[in-house]
Amino acid sequence: MKTKITIYLLAIGILISGCSTKSQKENTLNISGAFALYPLTVKWAEEYQKLHPEIRINISAGGAGKGMADVLSGTVDMGMFSREIEPEEIEKGIWWAGLCIDAVIPTISADNPYLDEILQKGITRDQFRMIFVTGSIADWGFLTNEANKGIIEVYTRADACGAAGTWASYLDCRQEDLKGIGIYGDPGLAEAVSKNPNAIAYNNTAYVYDINTGQKRPGIEVVPIDINENGTIDPEENFYGSFHSLLAAVSEEVYPYPPARELYFITKGLPVKKSLLDFIRWTLTDGQKYVSDAGYVPEPGEKIVKYLNKTY
Amino acid sequence: MLKTGTVWKQLSSGWMVSSLTVILSIPFLIGVALLIKSTPLFSSQSLWQLIGTSEWAPSEGRFGFLPFIFSSFYVTILSFLFAAPVCLLSAIYLTQFASPRLSTIMHPVIDILAGIPSVIYGVWGILIIVPFISQVAAPLFGTTSPGYSILAGGIVLAVMCIPYMLNMLIETFRTVPVGLREAALSLGATGWESVKHVVIRKSISGIISSFGLGLAKAFGETLAVMMVVGNMVRLDANPFQAGYPLPALIANNYGEMLSIPRYDSALMFAAFLLLVIILIINLVFRYFIYKAQKV
Repeated sequence: MKTKITIYLLAIGILISGCSTKSQKENTLNISGAFALYPLTVKWAEEYQKLHPEIRINISAGGAGKGMADVLSGTVDMGMFSREIEPEEIEKGIWWAGLCIDAVIPTISADNPYLDEILQKGITRDQFRMIFVTGSIADWGFLTNEANKGIIEVYTRADACGAAGTWASYLDCRQEDLKGIGIYGDPGLAEAVSKNPNAIAYNNTAYVYDINTGQKRPGIEVVPIDINENGTIDPEENFYGSFHSLLAAVSEEVYPYPPARELYFITKGLPVKKSLLDFIRWTLTDGQKYVSDAGYVPEPGEKIVKYLNKTY
Repeated sequence: MLKTGTVWKQLSSGWMVSSLTVILSIPFLIGVALLIKSTPLFSSQSLWQLIGTSEWAPSEGRFGFLPFIFSSFYVTILSFLFAAPVCLLSAIYLTQFASPRLSTIMHPVIDILAGIPSVIYGVWGILIIVPFISQVAAPLFGTTSPGYSILAGGIVLAVMCIPYMLNMLIETFRTVPVGLREAALSLGATGWESVKHVVIRKSISGIISSFGLGLAKAFGETLAVMMVVGNMVRLDANPFQAGYPLPALIANNYGEMLSIPRYDSALMFAAFLLLVIILIINLVFRYFIYKAQKV
């Protein structure tokens, strides 16, 4: 008899714990997606929960692709997203709001034997295309018009991600068209390119610069983009010295778009959850003051207004 | 009293049968689900085009799985070539020649190796094997390699499979009666001859099945291989170049799946292929075991 009662009590307990109240569900926000937006979203969540202690925000990073897949399948309330939204995705009912701007930058090893030439001449968009997409430049000798100076080892991201999507759209193609050895994850790619003197790759700014010191991480060097294609890096094209000067160039749109890019929150249709809408509105208004300190470029004012209007 | 006994008996045997049915039907259900999900793919390409061509351009709707199948087999076979002889010889040594103390020490060591998460093997591969291949192994063979390669995948996979194969081989050799070996020794056979003609011959079906299970495990391993294999879609017999095995394809592109039309079907089809190939590997080894037991 006693055991029976215990079993019934246990069963009731399980049933009760299984159903959470409606308000609890309403106040819990699940977010997943891009690594690029993760640090800022964590910061936002911390500050927002200080103001609204009843809200619980769960955030997991797993790449822009995962954010999109999770949102479309309904496993999370909102995704963090770090590349242009494709027409197919808009067709599926994706709703988005831009929050801030960061950039993908081409990288090489600090031990690259042609470092001086690269820093002085830069590489043009066409040359990047020939290195990453068509493969018609395969030797570092192209810098000095010599042959057989060392094979260019192209590294790219293996996982579906915003950095690769953005870099590909700069080169007018898609992630699947980027040639090269596929490495898993942004930290892995930064590690691989800094170790191999002949390598070239691209990274999120957060993995090239140390956010606290504003300096480049040891072993990694940025390839300056020859924006005006005159074969040399002019003083106004040389803004890679510190994180601060790079972000300034991105915000003044000296650095091209893409590989500079907007970072988004995405949901499936305009959010119906009021708590989620409130959070998104807060990130677009009061939340914007945390953007610069976290290492991102704020959106221009008129765009913020546009996105804010989308939420109503 | 008697009645409740029979009821219990029937009930419990009913439970057992139904749990067995569940276990047996799961792989079948998985296969059917994957096949249904991948059918949209067949509307544009025939089965032969899918598994026999090597052009991979998802956004243009062209899916050729040959490079992935090829890389999967290549990595698996390389790892098998590395692991199988090592496992066989160490299992023989541990069961037939080593002091009992050594085998009691080795047992927990093997279990610990088997319990290490695959991501650790992957990191180890990036830190040790990849630089080793690009700086030592490739120049030794007069070629160049970025390090991230089929060979790196094979080596990491071999190390991961060793504990499994070794454990099964040791168990197999343990079951050979000591009397058989003693009889061979008393007839004048040397230690090695007794192993070769008695122990190995007696346990041949066990050896084959442990190799088969090791191969199937290697074929499906994802994370560690994905971290070192280079993930490039190419059909290249050079083991110093990168490859792209099937499990890595699924894991890497899971996120893109819902954005590009028919991509989800393609990934489901990749999973289906993986399932079918592993089933075939198991069936082939079943056949070998059956043959070996008959002899």
